[in-house]
Amino acid sequence: MSEVLVTGLGTVGAYGCGGDSLRRALAAADPAPLLAAVDRSAGYHRAGGARSALLAGTGHLAAWLAPGEARRMSPPSKLAVAAARMALDCAGFADRRCGDEAASVVVATAFGPSSYSEALLRQILFEGPEATSPFLFTESVANAPAAQIAILCRARGPSVTVCQREAGVLLAVGQGAADVAAGRAPAALAGAVDEMTPLLHALLDRFAALAHVADTVDIARPFDRRRSGFLAAEGATVLFLEDAESAAARGGRALARVLAWGSAFDPTAPQAGWGTGQAFLGRAIVRGLTRAGIAVGDVDRVVAGASGARGGDRLEALTLREVFAHHPLPPVLAPKGTVGEYGGGFLGAAVLAAAGSRFGPTAGFAEEDPDLGVAPYDGSPLPRPSTVLATSFAAGGAASWLVLGAP
Amino acid sequence: MTNETAAGRACRVAVSGVGAVSGFGWGVVPLWEGLRAGRSAIRPFQRFDSALHRTHLAAEVAAEPPAGLARACREWRRLSQADRFALCAALEAVAGAGLAAPFADADPTVGVWFGSSTGGMFESEEFFRAFVTDRRRARVGALAAQQVNGPGDAIARHLGVTGPVATVSSACASGALALGAALAAVRSGEVDVALAGGADSLCQLTYAGFNALRSVDEGACRPFRADRAGMSFGEGAAVLVLEPLARVLARGAEPLAVLAGAGASCDAHHMTAPDPSGSGAAAAVAAALCDAGLPPSAIDFVNAHGTGTPLNDTAEWAALQQVFGERAERLPLTLTKALVGHLLGSAGAIEAVATVLCLRHGELHPAPGGARPVPPAEGEAAELPPLPASLVLDRPLPLPAARAAVSTSLAFGGSNAALVFARWAGQAA
Repeated sequence: MSEVLVTGLGTVGAYGCGGDSLRRALAAADPAPLLAAVDRSAGYHRAGGARSALLAGTGHLAAWLAPGEARRMSPPSKLAVAAARMALDCAGFADRRCGDEAASVVVATAFGPSSYSEALLRQILFEGPEATSPFLFTESVANAPAAQIAILCRARGPSVTVCQREAGVLLAVGQGAADVAAGRAPAALAGAVDEMTPLLHALLDRFAALAHVADTVDIARPFDRRRSGFLAAEGATVLFLEDAESAAARGGRALARVLAWGSAFDPTAPQAGWGTGQAFLGRAIVRGLTRAGIAVGDVDRVVAGASGARGGDRLEALTLREVFAHHPLPPVLAPKGTVGEYGGGFLGAAVLAAAGSRFGPTAGFAEEDPDLGVAPYDGSPLPRPSTVLATSFAAGGAASWLVLGAP
Repeated sequence: MTNETAAGRACRVAVSGVGAVSGFGWGVVPLWEGLRAGRSAIRPFQRFDSALHRTHLAAEVAAEPPAGLARACREWRRLSQADRFALCAALEAVAGAGLAAPFADADPTVGVWFGSSTGGMFESEEFFRAFVTDRRRARVGALAAQQVNGPGDAIARHLGVTGPVATVSSACASGALALGAALAAVRSGEVDVALAGGADSLCQLTYAGFNALRSVDEGACRPFRADRAGMSFGEGAAVLVLEPLARVLARGAEPLAVLAGAGASCDAHHMTAPDPSGSGAAAAVAAALCDAGLPPSAIDFVNAHGTGTPLNDTAEWAALQQVFGERAERLPLTLTKALVGHLLGSAGAIEAVATVLCLRHGELHPAPGGARPVPPAEGEAAELPPLPASLVLDRPLPLPAARAAVSTSLAFGGSNAALVFARWAGQAA
């Protein structure tokens, strides 16, 4: 088994392009200036429902994507390719191509290319099947972003797209790391992409999944007693993973070490909700840490996927308490209060946490929920962590985790 | 965490149970009977009105599931078609393996690796039509059943799975990629039992989309034939139970086959067209053989991806020639899609089941032979140069001594996957 390093980070979100943009946003810990009004003109939203989202847009990607390339891509493909090229650039590949073409690509997406799927369905259902655009269809498949990364970054190893809602992003990184560790690929581009459309925003609003606060900006409140949902978000984050020996040979600089990964499932969860399986989820995480030779007490930072969802935050908090039942709970960062609910922003935050970046206080958090027993990070000075546990719990039962070490 | 050491790779992984839902019916028995008879399940279908579509055939699953299945599942009414197919196949596979379900937490540790390209898209289309035209008729709660990860999650919920659950959505390679991931997890000891497979149902999005690409044959598909003119759609699910061989033998069960290796690659060539050189697909097959520790000469037949599109079959043939050399022309090719259609995200899984059944029964199922009943219309492409493959047509090919087989899956976006299965001949590892 090779040691796997993160040597490149590419990210696009409402915070802008690149790791420095994300770092600044996490330090500021204020999503309000980044929020954009969502188009509610179709009348799909609830009256008085959520109004805003953290939108990345694709209009500012010219430095990473030529117009001739972009014209053949859906928004998620554009975001994903831009993030992959940023990761390669960050890793020191000036031509923004994988140094070894046998690299694998693993991308998670919760909803796939939503805007193209919607446009395609409108054509099929309302104009007739013969009106179907072959281009829209080609770019509406869930694995289009992974395929475009492979084509443009010259990655000819395994190409895998993971769809497991909120848990998908850490599954994807785990799969990429496993490919490298087992020698199936010399390197991996692994991450997540999602886009937020007015229709998707409206449907999440009708599920009562989104955060909204009457008469002021929408605020997600991870782990807070008053939490009412999450901030919808979009963007892409891609990591360049490679084995330590290869990185050293070419002078690559580690942002973090990938120490362990794993996943579990809570069968008590309903199709679109969270269950009560904190006991066995907690045991599964402890077993996974033990298998990787990591003691629970060695974990000195947690990056939680808590988004402000009532059930999701509750399950995550109770599971963390199970994991740390015999140890003090380390400081818990909850970056989705700032970057919103999309896997990429959370993943980027986890890497930056391991790299020692400074975080601001948890956006939106003000009042502890006594049922949860977790008060997320308050912004006070912290030493650099050595071992970071990132956890992500999906509606529907899936859970995943990733352990990153300081470089 | 996956700990794939050399010792892990030495762990032989058995297929201890299989389950399937296909155009031949709900179960492995109707699947094998239909495959062995070489009769196509591709025919006019009812799932949606195809009158306005360019083509009108598919291998549709009969409406009625086995008696009692719906009653045994509390949430049956809330499940999508794809979820139902997946659940039925999983229950059959687990029962066939002789495992007691629902499973207890971590004893054994059970995981689910599943492939799907569209999950509950058929139901999403019904929702979307209602939502746009008359919002009062659209139940937002019904959307819960319409996730790509729905089929794998439904299995995990129903069977009490507490180990890893992951859904792969890499178009037509999804099922085979899921099986490869499950193989790695069993070898590493991450799980004791893996339920791996895939499920997809017919939906208008893929039906119209592939027709827009003019990739669909107006008749039943004819993979690898000179008069091939495109794919045919199918639907259904397949699940394989994977366990360490030693675990299966220890409880006195008989393995159906050994999943010896898996490999994957990407063409990195084009979003829809395969690399005509076949080098990407060849790399996946070579990686699977390497993973299995077998030379090409140990392979006695191939279950080809064989969609029936002119470009795909030509590229796949080029790949097989690269891997098997001159022997490719003598290597029997069995073509499951010619009978059950293309199950998209589940194709690799049902073809894996077909490959296991061929090894188990010692004979390869045939594809329909004969000439195309309707000659190409004016303006259609003339016949393609023939591929000199050794196709199994019209009647089963006895191959009782077959040692191992390769099953290939080649997807949209250039994602390739290959699996190597070995016959279980009774020897312990």
